[in-house]
Amino acid sequence: MSDVPQSRPGVIHDLGYRRYDGLREGTATIARTLFITGLRHAYGLGRSGKSKVMPFLLLAMSVLPALIVVGVVVLTGMSSLPISYADYTNQTQLLVSLFAAAQAPVLFSRDLRHRSIVLYLARPLSAPLFALMRWLSLAVALWFFMAVPTLLLFVGAMLSGLDKSDQVTQLLKAVALQTLLALLVAGITGLISSVSLRRGFAVVGSVMALIVLTGVVTAIQAIAADQDADAVSVAAGLFSPWSLYTGLANAWDAGVETFVPVDGAWVLAYALVALLLVAGCLLGLVARFQKVGSR
Amino acid sequence: MRFVTGELTGLAPVISTAGLTKHYGAVHALTDLTVEVGAGVTGLVGANGAGKSTLIKILLGLLEPTGGHARVLGHDIEEASEDIRRLVGYMPEHDCLPPDVSASDFVVHMARMSGLGASAARERAADVLRHVGLDEERYRPMGGYSTGMKQRAKLAQALAHDPRLVFLDEPTNGLDPAARNDMLRLVERIGGEFGIAVLVTSHLLGELEQVSDHVIVLDGGHLLRSSATGDFIEHTGSLLVEVVGTETERDLLGEALAKRGLTCRPRGAMVAIDPPPTELAHEGAAFDLIRDVAAELGLGLMRLQPDRRHLEDVFLDGGAAHV
Repeated sequence: MSDVPQSRPGVIHDLGYRRYDGLREGTATIARTLFITGLRHAYGLGRSGKSKVMPFLLLAMSVLPALIVVGVVVLTGMSSLPISYADYTNQTQLLVSLFAAAQAPVLFSRDLRHRSIVLYLARPLSAPLFALMRWLSLAVALWFFMAVPTLLLFVGAMLSGLDKSDQVTQLLKAVALQTLLALLVAGITGLISSVSLRRGFAVVGSVMALIVLTGVVTAIQAIAADQDADAVSVAAGLFSPWSLYTGLANAWDAGVETFVPVDGAWVLAYALVALLLVAGCLLGLVARFQKVGSR
Repeated sequence: MRFVTGELTGLAPVISTAGLTKHYGAVHALTDLTVEVGAGVTGLVGANGAGKSTLIKILLGLLEPTGGHARVLGHDIEEASEDIRRLVGYMPEHDCLPPDVSASDFVVHMARMSGLGASAARERAADVLRHVGLDEERYRPMGGYSTGMKQRAKLAQALAHDPRLVFLDEPTNGLDPAARNDMLRLVERIGGEFGIAVLVTSHLLGELEQVSDHVIVLDGGHLLRSSATGDFIEHTGSLLVEVVGTETERDLLGEALAKRGLTCRPRGAMVAIDPPPTELAHEGAAFDLIRDVAAELGLGLMRLQPDRRHLEDVFLDGGAAHV
């Protein structure tokens, strides 16, 4: 125990063990720290230089068209934006989906694959709170990804002197829809990444769920609308997060066209499915973290 | 039946369990475990699957017991699991380190996850990494670490928030003899100099004999025994005698003692004598007899000592006699 003082060269003295009597934060602060760390990690901040490339490249690609639109609107003095805020997100959906697919494994696979989840769960945060914070980190990262070009468009609209109250209404609608979409997409990609722990599988799974599935749903919607089977076209929209988003945006008059207008009881169905999907993904995540943590 | 280990004088036990049971269907991981653990280093011994890791996970609140109760640092595991996790550190048996992060960054992050502020976490991380002996390599990604370095990093994260109790699950696993020895010295320091209660598991009994003040032995989920390490290696009543010379002299003494009513058998260069029969059981009688016999034969007595048991014997006995 109190053996001979170590006299290794280079080590001048051993201070002995020092206790920590300082402040210990509550659960809320710990959860907030986890959330902020996760948010930073989603953009590769605080991680290796290589991991910053993908998120920022995608962000740049999604911002570029908005910059062009703003340039055109300001220079030509157009009387309205050529694309609505909500529709801009819809048009760049491939980039948003890729961002989610690429970054969800960072937040949901790593801790499970390397088993560091056990170290987290041996600390004050419980498995449900941990899952919730991880989900929030990705959702906010995604929301930010969509909000940056949206805000740019808004700045452009203000610079070219478009009607402020109209633009603010459209902007707020878009932001609310984007929030719901971010929660949905974060839940889906998070759940997929927490189950398929190999990064490659997780990315492919998320791409299947977001891009391929949306493609299939869009095709069905288009064919059904063409065949005048309006109900089928609207119902098909319940099966992909993107068609839920466009459907709700259409119903709310946020400037997004769908094959068949979503109205009546369908609006409620869309909203309900979106909320149930979010809740289901969250429950799945909590169950998954709890199971791995107890092994 | 209650077993108590540790320095319990006037202090509440660090861990106490009452009838703790965990069954997975037909698999009985832990059965009716009632035990108390005090300060210092307590060894938790058992073969693989004896229930050591299950017990730790239940105490941490990661697993729910099928039955029974337990308290850790005065908190009930079911009602105040979060308070417990604030005050304890845990070093799991398996690998749990992300390979792309440096030990320094990781320990800082883990300290923050235990509730330390940013600057306090950095200071504590530097401190504990120095104590566990990770020097320059702490700034390298942990994926490139040797097993010994990984074990040190795992230990550092368990100590980062200055816990009052640490659970160390097989800390010497996969280490070479020198690293194993370092780790055991470190465990001893944590329990002594650092003043942190330690519950350390191992399937190697000899290891825990060296560093722990108390030992709990589990076998197939049952408590085999729990007591101070000193009691384990207690004097069994048997004696060991060694005389000057070769095996010839040894056998000469053994045969002569056998004629006087003692049960003897050779053990290495020594004669092992079973606990003496009742007529020789009173204090010193057997010692006198051995001295006299050696003198009669003209043999030089080199050693005469009580035969101490080793922890292994608890297992060889099957332990049934103790419970």
